[in-house]
Parts: sequence; C-alpha cells; structure tokens
Amino acid sequence: MTPRASALHAARAPIAAAYACALVVAVLSFEHPLVLAALGAAIVATGALARCARSLARAALFGVPFAVAIALVNPLVAREGLNVVLRLGEIGPLGHLDVTRESLVFGAILGLRALLVVLAGGALLSATVDPDELLARFRRVSVRSALTAALAVRLVPVLGRDARRLADARRCRPDAAARPNTAERLQIVRAVATGAMDRALDVAATLEVRGYATPAAPGRGRRPPEPWSRHDLAVAVSALALLALCAGARLAGVAGFDAYPRTELALGTAEWVLAGALVLVALAPFAERRGIEP
Amino acid sequence: MSARSAARLLAVLCAAAALGGCGVGPGEGPQAGVKLTVTRDFGSRPLLERDRLQVADADTVMRVLQRNAEVRTRFGGDFVQSIEGVAGGRRDGRPVDWFLYVNGILAERGASAVRLRGGDRVWWDHHDWGLTPDVPAVVGSFPEPFLHGSAGRRLPVRVECEDPRAAACDAVAGKLISLGIPAGRSEIGGSAADDTLRVLVGPWSRLRGRDAEADSLDRGPRSSGVYARFDAASATRLTVLDPRGRAARTLGAGTGLIAATRAVERQPVWFVTGTDAAGVDSAARAFDESALNDRFALAISRDLPVGVPLQEGAR
Repeated sequence: MTPRASALHAARAPIAAAYACALVVAVLSFEHPLVLAALGAAIVATGALARCARSLARAALFGVPFAVAIALVNPLVAREGLNVVLRLGEIGPLGHLDVTRESLVFGAILGLRALLVVLAGGALLSATVDPDELLARFRRVSVRSALTAALAVRLVPVLGRDARRLADARRCRPDAAARPNTAERLQIVRAVATGAMDRALDVAATLEVRGYATPAAPGRGRRPPEPWSRHDLAVAVSALALLALCAGARLAGVAGFDAYPRTELALGTAEWVLAGALVLVALAPFAERRGIEP
Repeated sequence: MSARSAARLLAVLCAAAALGGCGVGPGEGPQAGVKLTVTRDFGSRPLLERDRLQVADADTVMRVLQRNAEVRTRFGGDFVQSIEGVAGGRRDGRPVDWFLYVNGILAERGASAVRLRGGDRVWWDHHDWGLTPDVPAVVGSFPEPFLHGSAGRRLPVRVECEDPRAAACDAVAGKLISLGIPAGRSEIGGSAADDTLRVLVGPWSRLRGRDAEADSLDRGPRSSGVYARFDAASATRLTVLDPRGRAARTLGAGTGLIAATRAVERQPVWFVTGTDAAGVDSAARAFDESALNDRFALAISRDLPVGVPLQEGAR
C-alpha cells in the first residue's frame, strides 16, 4: 500500500469531504467566541497535520480581508446594541448611525465564522480530497450532476493554465517587463474571462468524449465494494462525533451566546469541555499513523 | 498618496465628522428624564412604568426600552416583537401588536430610529388593531405633546373655543398656562398654521362641521383613531365603542369627551367636548394628568371616567 500524506488523504474521498463539511457545520452551529476559537485551532491543526498548511495560508490571504470586511460592515448596518462607542451622525441613506460595542463584537464573530468556513470548506477540502475520486463516486448517484461538478472543478485549473500561457506569451514581446504591472494583469484576466465560455464548452466536450456523460451499464464497470480502512473509519467517526457534539450542545443549551441587545455569553465548565472535546474529536483521526508517510 | 496628503485628508475627515455631530461614546444626557410606560389593551393593563430615566444623546426609544424590559425585536432590530413576553401576532383570532407613542403621537418610524429628548414620554401599548392600525394621537401622555412638543421641537399651542368666554375655555387654557405652556386663545378655526397644536373646546354640536379633524372624528375610528361616536343628528348622545368597533355603552346628556386625532403632515388636534355645555364642563374638569394618564381617549359621564375604547372588565 502506498503511504499517504495524512489520515485525511488516506480516507476515501466522500468521507474526507464529510469530515470537512462537519467542520463547516460546527462553525455555523455556534456563535460563542470560545467555541469558534477552538474550532479555528482545530482547523489550523488539521491543516498542519494533513500537510496542507500552505494551502490554508493561501486561502487565508483571501479569507482574512473578506472577514475584516464583514467585521467592518456589520457595525454600519446593525441598528442594535445598547453601548454606543461612536456617534457618526446622519449618513445619507443609512440615516442616523451609532456604532455599538455589541455590533462590533458580533461583526468580529461573523468575520471569524466566514474565515473558518473558507478555511475548512474551501482550502482543507480542496487540499485533502481527490476531486476525481469524489466525482467518480458521485456519478453513481447522478450522472448529470457529476458531469456539471466535474466541469466546474476542472474549468478553474484550465483557465489558470490559459492565463499562464497568455502571461508567457506577453513576456515574449520585446518591450515586456519581467513582471506584468496591474494594467497588464487586468488585460490577461479580461482575456481569460471573455474566453471562459468557449473553454467551458471545450472542457465539456472533452469530458463527454471521455465518457463522463455516459452512465455505466448495469453490472458492468462497477468496482466491487472496497472494505473500509482504519482511516476511513477514524475519519468517519470523527465527522459523526463532531456533528453529534454540535447537536448535543445545541439541544443542551451549552455555549449560549446573545449578541444583542447586550453581549452575553455563557463561560462555564460546559463551554470549556465542549471546546476541548471539539478539538480532540477533530484531531483524533491523525493519531493513527499506520500507512501514513513519515 | 504622500504622507502629507494623507494627513490633510485625515484632518478634513475629522473636521467633517466633528461638524456632522459625530463623537465618541454615547454623548451627554439631557437634564430632564424620560418616562417609559408599557401597557396592554389600550392602556387598560399596565405592564411596566419607569420615570425619570436618564438618557444620553445617542439613545433611541429601542435602547431605552431594551435597558428596562425584556424585548424581542424583528426586522433587524427596528421593530418590537415582544415586551416582557407579550408578543405581537393574533389573539382570539384578532391581530394584536405593539404600538409606540412618543409624547402622545404615534411613531412613524422604527423604535431604533426615534431619538429621545429630555422630558419625552414613551408609551408602548399592545392592542387589537383589527379595526384600525392607525390611532394617530392619544391623550394619555398629557401634558405632552404640549410641554415638549414633537421630535425635540416645542410647538405653538392654541386653545380654540366655541365660546372664548366660557368657563370650560378658561379652565383648559388656565391648566396649560399653569404647566408653563404659553397657550393662545381664539375662536374655532382661528389657527392657520399646520404646526400648531390645537385644543378645540365646546359642545360637539357646535364643533361638528367646522374643522377637518372634527369631521374625521364623525367618520369613526378608522378615520380618526377615536373609538367613540356622537349621534349623527343632534350630538346629544355619545356611543363608546369597544376595540372591535362595536357599541359598548351609550352615554346621554352631560357626557364629556377628551380625545385627540391627527391628520397627515399636521400636528395633533385635541377635543375637549361633550354632548352639551355640562358635558364640556365635565371634560374641562378632567383635563388633567391624573385623569388622562394612560388613556387613549376619555369619556366622562356624571363625573366618572369611562375609558375609550371600552375594554371588557377594564377601569
């Protein structure tokens, strides 16, 4: 058996995807800062243990400004909160605007949640799940949806390669600088974007020729069911345990958080236990090192 | 952008912010406190009352309410869904909701957009609005709006009497003046400005047909928000309605009525009126904070108060 980079890479694609989705569900289930911090730590640690910290860092380059924008916009649109920290007076269509401590806190929480969703649902998923395997399995359920998903997944790298070719071609010009400036970058992006529909048709035709749109005949070409590996089991149990923890905590009223009119959060033993349990459960699959690259 | 340009831009922004009324923190509070009242069923069932609440420049009706009661909001925090567990929705198949009056005038904006000034009276009432959602003015915040006006602006007050020499006219004008409210006096229809708070004093038979707001009261609660109706012929009987608009009690000679209404883009008009001169005198005697407190309108029969609209089992 070929050693894999991590337990997530070793698990079959749908299970690894379910694990990433469970992290996203956990993030969306809570507004409590301690729980979100614990989930953030779990996602970053998962990225490091799955050897895709660099992918997470790249995603954070996009995600952090996005999160900051959310954190800044919320106080300007929220009318709630009792403790005014800044009076901005009459501001056009927004009317009389007061920035409250509660809206700043909740804006920061919304921004953090958005960042964690980008990291778990975007970077971690794409770095640890093989899209071909995922689509191949999904194809058994719905051929057309699988074809559409395959097209969407493959179109982005195709356009990226197109952009690199255009950039290479631009550098071949005698008057070109070594690195394109902003206007030249914009030209390349425009050229790629305007040709995207044509390229999508090309990719779709290629996928069709390769048989992606043809459902397999019954009983033919279907692989026998593979036995579950220890990594499949560990990651699946971890994903289910994450979801169970979230549901249980919600039902039991643990990690309660009220953003308005006053910021009120429960911070007792139950919240600390929940935060610790979420981290432990999320990282538990990585304890199994058999079949993993040293 | 150079550092010098950035510093200039920052200075301009700071100056604009300071001129635009911006500031750090909630700001200074006004000298006079604010009164907050929460009731149910057209003021007949008190839920909460707080007097002399200190408020800051940045305070809105919603903030003051949330500081003093358990509140659930909707539409992004602009509107109240429930206060102290009493929610809007349907009750016995009838629509009920929370309505906000500031200085006796129905608020036209969400509670988070209404700023408070010193001396304001805030009144939340939860009531059946199946007959009309629009009760534009009430008398239960007296001496508001005469004392502090509307939206932080004091308004001119004029007492318009059918007979300026009548005792009732003297009593009403005297009451306002004793509260420090400079009130002019004239005959009916003597005020031209839309921005004047008017008090019409006289028997209904003499007020009827001489004023647009008086006509709206004759058209019924859907038009005026007043749940009472004088008889069409001679105005010698007053029928007090219940919240559904059904006749609940008919009062005969000697009955007085104090009510308020408001036309669009105009200030409220109050009526101190009655079925006859005795009724007007009764109403003038009841033109007082203790009698009017938390009333949408008030009928007076044999010097006894009758709440308008008349709630089953209410005072």
